[in-house]
Amino acid sequence: MTPQEMTLREKQELGGEERTRPGRAYVPYIDIAESQDALWLWADMPGVDEQSMDVRLDNGVLTIEGHVTLKEYENLSPVYTEYNVGDFVRRLALSDDIDTERIKAKMANGVLELELPKTERAKPRQIPVTGA
Amino acid sequence: MARFRLSNSLDPMAGLLALQHELERAFENPPVNFGLSGRGVFPPLNVFADKDDLVVRVEVPGVSPDSLKIETHGRTLTISGVRESTPSASASFHRRERDAGQFARSIQLPEGLDGSAAQASYQHGILTVRVPKKEEAKPRQITVQAA
Repeated sequence: MTPQEMTLREKQELGGEERTRPGRAYVPYIDIAESQDALWLWADMPGVDEQSMDVRLDNGVLTIEGHVTLKEYENLSPVYTEYNVGDFVRRLALSDDIDTERIKAKMANGVLELELPKTERAKPRQIPVTGA
Repeated sequence: MARFRLSNSLDPMAGLLALQHELERAFENPPVNFGLSGRGVFPPLNVFADKDDLVVRVEVPGVSPDSLKIETHGRTLTISGVRESTPSASASFHRRERDAGQFARSIQLPEGLDGSAAQASYQHGILTVRVPKKEEAKPRQITVQAA
């Protein structure tokens, strides 16, 4: 089966907040999936490496912030452009059921992958049924 | 002879905002020079020049480098690849914003470039293709003989 074609999506600008670093930021597209043991999050942040990636949890709010490196633009003159570049920021409210101590973050090819393990009590439990 | 309208060279030291302004100014530049009918196809591409090369850059995060194909055929440069869907074996999705599938984009290179010497690199989800200018297209100093 031939894979479908990818569609063009504009970068979403981050609105409504001031940042200390001048320049507009973008909201990365994310996928969130839930398995039995954990919540998973993937965020597209091209141009961000693991050193420039900041993952913070504050009062139940998860903030993912990636800074793009500008070094690869040195000495280049723009001739024709279709997209702009900028840092990526997104915030999500997490439920209490996440074991914040065990959150794992990985960065590869401009994609952040977060594993947010559920606390024991949040995992679905099978209740054994005994016969009378 | 390549005919591009060059803006100032980018200076990363000037900061992100300055870079964003420069890139935005170039949004006005006509796409027809590159055989393009404008935006609307994934992936969006940016074209830069430095003194030696034409540099084509696209953002394709999460693509396996093995699936990337960069081809030059005469003056046409084609970039294609496949982005796999997020693995979802035993999970249910709450949100699904990231697209997956195949993509292909072609661009007509201006004259004066050596397509057969193009080089590509993929880092942090950004693919950069450098196409060197032909020797004779580079600016050459001509010494003046005193009579």
